[in-house]
Amino acid sequence: MSYIDVQNLSKSFTLRKKREKGKLLREKTEIQALKEISFSIGEGELVGYIGPNGAGKSTTVKILSGILTPDGGSARVGGLIPWKERKRHVQRIGVVFGQRSQLWWDVPIMDSFQLLRDIYRVPEDQYKKRLSNLTDALDLGAIMKTPLRQLSLGQKMRAELCGSLLHGPGLLFLDEPTIGLDAVSKLALRDFLKEENEKKGTTILLTTHDMEDIAALCSRVMVLGHGKKLFDGQLSHLLSRYDTVRVIEVRYGSGILPPLPDCCRMERNGENYRITYEPEKMPTAQLLSLLQGAGEIRELTAQPQNIDHMIAAMYKEMDL
Amino acid sequence: MKAYLAIFRMRLKMETQYRGAVIGGVFCQMFFGLILVALYRALYAGRPQALPLSSVITYVWLQQAFFRMVLSSDGDLADKIRTGAIAYDLCRPLNLYGYYYLRAMAMKLMGSLLRAIPMLVLAILLPDGWGIAAPQSLPHLLAGLFGLLLGLLCVCALENITMAITMRTLDSRGMQAMLNLLMMILSGNILPLTLFPDSWQKVITLLPYAQLLDAPIRLYTGEWALSQFPRVLCIQGAWIVFLVALGLYFWRQNQKRIVLQGG
Repeated sequence: MSYIDVQNLSKSFTLRKKREKGKLLREKTEIQALKEISFSIGEGELVGYIGPNGAGKSTTVKILSGILTPDGGSARVGGLIPWKERKRHVQRIGVVFGQRSQLWWDVPIMDSFQLLRDIYRVPEDQYKKRLSNLTDALDLGAIMKTPLRQLSLGQKMRAELCGSLLHGPGLLFLDEPTIGLDAVSKLALRDFLKEENEKKGTTILLTTHDMEDIAALCSRVMVLGHGKKLFDGQLSHLLSRYDTVRVIEVRYGSGILPPLPDCCRMERNGENYRITYEPEKMPTAQLLSLLQGAGEIRELTAQPQNIDHMIAAMYKEMDL
Repeated sequence: MKAYLAIFRMRLKMETQYRGAVIGGVFCQMFFGLILVALYRALYAGRPQALPLSSVITYVWLQQAFFRMVLSSDGDLADKIRTGAIAYDLCRPLNLYGYYYLRAMAMKLMGSLLRAIPMLVLAILLPDGWGIAAPQSLPHLLAGLFGLLLGLLCVCALENITMAITMRTLDSRGMQAMLNLLMMILSGNILPLTLFPDSWQKVITLLPYAQLLDAPIRLYTGEWALSQFPRVLCIQGAWIVFLVALGLYFWRQNQKRIVLQGG
């Protein structure tokens, strides 16, 4: 029995265009944000949910967190229909919208947490334990008494995450939680999410554009495009189909780069040459001997393809 | 219940974060009060009216002191609706109408008490003929306070309707500006309703805006006898029931067709 069960979920929005000259009324267009998507997620899974901007990811999250009412289809989360049994449903979930804030702008974050404790009716002893765990894990101790408006983006995001987890939800929706974070904060956040998932068994649906997040956290991904589900399965399967090129960076001590066949793409960056090639067409050994014949190589690094490039190639092929 | 009480505590904390705004508000309202009092003194010096001057001056001070209570100014919530941060409120295990009703109430109560108490003290200290007069009697004071409480329930219901409409129009500024103008005229903030022509008063005193401050103040000054109290309660009660029902209907409609912008 799966924890989240979505069947043929649809949602459309009406957009009003700017009024055209000579016409009395504005034209309306309907946009299908979700076109009959179905999926299920088991308890304790950590699933990545990706797709280009406007694909309908956030709409899905908003429906599953009981905010929006869908036009058609059904969804059950832990046996409840989110938009019908909203109050009971939201008591058990946590949501982080990366671009919005749930904490109060002008008071210390501690006060916001206390309000959330009261809103979710968390018993005092449980709250204390939970808060001290989260304070340690998210490194919030030093900023507990600081008003939200004085925090940096990374501190804010950690505080937001703490706010969403105070009531110990079994299910967590994360909508772009790492947006705008620096490398250190990002890594810390990932570690925390991984632990929350592995140790506490929290089910997590992670929406993001940061493919590093997905690669680090999720074994399963769902790809959404134009409101349709295009892929659902292992990240490695998805990538192997698009992982067709390799990159070699080379720097010469003496000599210059020889002319390369057409199937290789070359970019020059100062003294470094960056060569992108497809091993299918140009075997690596052949390329290397070509490079070596031209002079004395000082430095050479081989890199896998950037994951963002793979996703871009996938979106392109899927016509997104 | 604890959750809803916590909203009050939070609001008090937020108001105390901006003590400067409170002090500024007190000075601003004192200034307006003094100008209005000077105006009515001049008016009465030329042509005395049926209503005693001291009642009008008391009316002015009470209006100024509780101005924050009637003013519709929840910029925070309007912003939340505009930017979509309201998404978070929509996923709380609370009754949303109740949550916003109490939010408005906390804001109005805490905001106006923090300003009204120092203002009333100042208004008492003013010299004779300028300051606020004592209530007609203790029962009049209690009737006035109870009326004020019902008036607060009324204005919070109005606020919730405004917000429900804002959720559709996305911007509250136009509507709030219009409603605040209506409110300032129809609640007696600009010109005490008691100075309107009698034929106008028959209608105006029945409207919801008159229930906020005008009715309680008239009970306080004794312009309305205690025998009028049940009538006032009935009018206020009827408005509360009607406005809450209307607001609930709007919110329920909204919940079905809510759209959140972007991201």
